[in-house]
Amino acid sequence: MKKLLILLAIVLALGLVACAPKEEDEKFELALITDVGTIDDKSFNQGAWEGLKQYAEEKGISYKYYQPTDKSTDAYVAAIDLAVENGAKVIVTPGFLFEPAIFKAQDIYKEVKFVLLDGFPQDGTYTQFRIENNVYSIFYAEEQVGFLAGYAAVKDGYTNLGFMGGMAVPAVVRFGYGFVQGVNYAAAEMGINVNLKYKYLGGFGPSAEYQTEAATWFQGGVQVIFAAAGGAGNSVMAAAEANNGKVIGVDIDQKGESTTVITSALKGLGVSVYDALTDYYAGTFKGGQSVSLGVEVDGVSLPNDFSRFTTFNKAMYDAIFAKLVANTDNIRTNIKKDTDVTSASELPVTNVTVEVIG
Amino acid sequence: MTLSTFYFLVQQTMFFSIPLLIVAIGGMYSERSGVINIALEGIMIIGAFVSLFFMNRMQASMTGQTLLVLSMLIAATVGMMLSFFHAYASINMKANQVISGTALNLFAPAFAIFTARMIIGVQQVTFANTYRIAEVPILSSIPVLGDLFFKNTYITTFAGFAILIIATFVLYKTRFGLRLRACGEHPQAADAAGVNVKRMRYTGVLISGALAGLGGLVLMVPVTTAFDGSVGGYGFLALAVLIFGQWRPGRILFAAFFFGLMKTISAAYTGIPILLALGIPSYVFKMIPYLATIIILTFTSKKSAAPKAAGEPYDAGKR
Repeated sequence: MKKLLILLAIVLALGLVACAPKEEDEKFELALITDVGTIDDKSFNQGAWEGLKQYAEEKGISYKYYQPTDKSTDAYVAAIDLAVENGAKVIVTPGFLFEPAIFKAQDIYKEVKFVLLDGFPQDGTYTQFRIENNVYSIFYAEEQVGFLAGYAAVKDGYTNLGFMGGMAVPAVVRFGYGFVQGVNYAAAEMGINVNLKYKYLGGFGPSAEYQTEAATWFQGGVQVIFAAAGGAGNSVMAAAEANNGKVIGVDIDQKGESTTVITSALKGLGVSVYDALTDYYAGTFKGGQSVSLGVEVDGVSLPNDFSRFTTFNKAMYDAIFAKLVANTDNIRTNIKKDTDVTSASELPVTNVTVEVIG
Repeated sequence: MTLSTFYFLVQQTMFFSIPLLIVAIGGMYSERSGVINIALEGIMIIGAFVSLFFMNRMQASMTGQTLLVLSMLIAATVGMMLSFFHAYASINMKANQVISGTALNLFAPAFAIFTARMIIGVQQVTFANTYRIAEVPILSSIPVLGDLFFKNTYITTFAGFAILIIATFVLYKTRFGLRLRACGEHPQAADAAGVNVKRMRYTGVLISGALAGLGGLVLMVPVTTAFDGSVGGYGFLALAVLIFGQWRPGRILFAAFFFGLMKTISAAYTGIPILLALGIPSYVFKMIPYLATIIILTFTSKKSAAPKAAGEPYDAGKR
């Protein structure tokens, strides 16, 4: 009986394979490969995907996304192989985890263009950095939008603030440093002293621990927390709802996720992918370049809705935004980044007491 | 430490302890009937997922405690349905109970994410929390106790205590409880005395499924605004609570609160000046529950109160 069943299973399996539709002829010109997240992570992958999709649909170009089998350079390279095999001409890879994979792939597939978001090709050990002219590396000036968020919060009257990052990865660190400096800038402008708690949670998913941590901060007098922590931000929002606190969202406009979200630090992921593709089809692909997109090219911004602020408004936002764009008194270039100092406590501040919690 | 900080800590501890308590009691019912259920984690995920999805769909038309109670019922039902598979594999098919449980643990998060993305389009199931009770009328004005238990709370907290009391009563004071325990200790003897071992074990596993599913919902509601297909290992932690609590309701209560308190302290110590002044890294607090479990296990392994027949498929021919 058992043998019969096994035989039956094999026959069925073979039958299924034989019936599987053949897709050899179908080609996809534009490809996106996801990193650890999914295409709908409300963050990096989703932002990039929306840009690619928009361009492809407007121009009638075939497109497809690939999800690597696991989180490793080998799996990423395998996904790139697959994409190329399926006829990809441009491959978008969101996230710094792709750095080693692109480092390899840029030599293997010289005719394919790569758009690497938030990363620069390196050999995996950060000893060898090299970018070929089929790779366009895009960074975002998270420190600038963090600056804007911090500035807005203090201008709105908050004097006791917090920063909760997911993990101390470069993008999150830039958000945090920018936030501290924006808070300081506004406080100096207003001639007041403010307090700021600073911490990396250690994860990007919602959890009871993060809720308690945020609740403790709110209980201890913190009025608003900038949560640059993906899904862990939802736990910060839960804590804010129960403890009368406020939250600043990250990456995309998160005001729909909780009424406590006063604003969000946005990155123009979709726009930058869209622009890169436009360049490619216009024959001006910026291969071999690494850029950091900031306020001057709308790479980062706050959402255009100031209804949840009490005193901070669009005019004030436009003023500080214009100052950053014009780099008045070197305001923009003076913002310290992740590579400038090793800890938030070393940031040069005058009007804010930073308490870094380890 | 001011009094209000203390109250705050106790209120926060509930968010950790109550789900652990509910799930561990579920695990207790399964194991005392003779079936090890390590699928608690997976069942929590499915219970939380389905009930929060229900909440997500229904919150436009209804809010407040009615919706929460309905969701709790759904979570328990779904948990029970999932645990049926474990029961069938380990009781009827006499499969290895650890493997069957692991299968459910692997299946659950994948199913939650897959289904969410098929139906909603995104992986996260968002929900609005309209269930927090800022103050229970009258009861909250009781000195001390009012602040501890009747402020900033959820009906799930009271449900947790109710489950504990009912579970204890059923296990020790009813005929059913006696038979269930007999099946976990010596099923052949129970069978000889006329107890239907299969039915007892099915009941035990299904109760554990219902409570685990409920525990998943109870864990997620107060602590986030979006469910992401994970309960962060609390199902496994509940197993540790069960072992730490030596399969007895009273001790499980103590264990759940001990674990919950340690979790709370590790997350909240930055707000407690006394603890902050000690300069102990938060990792130490995070380790304490696990260290304590290992120590307790080491010292009690000789006279462990684990049900003797737990993990063994019932074989009527064996004596």
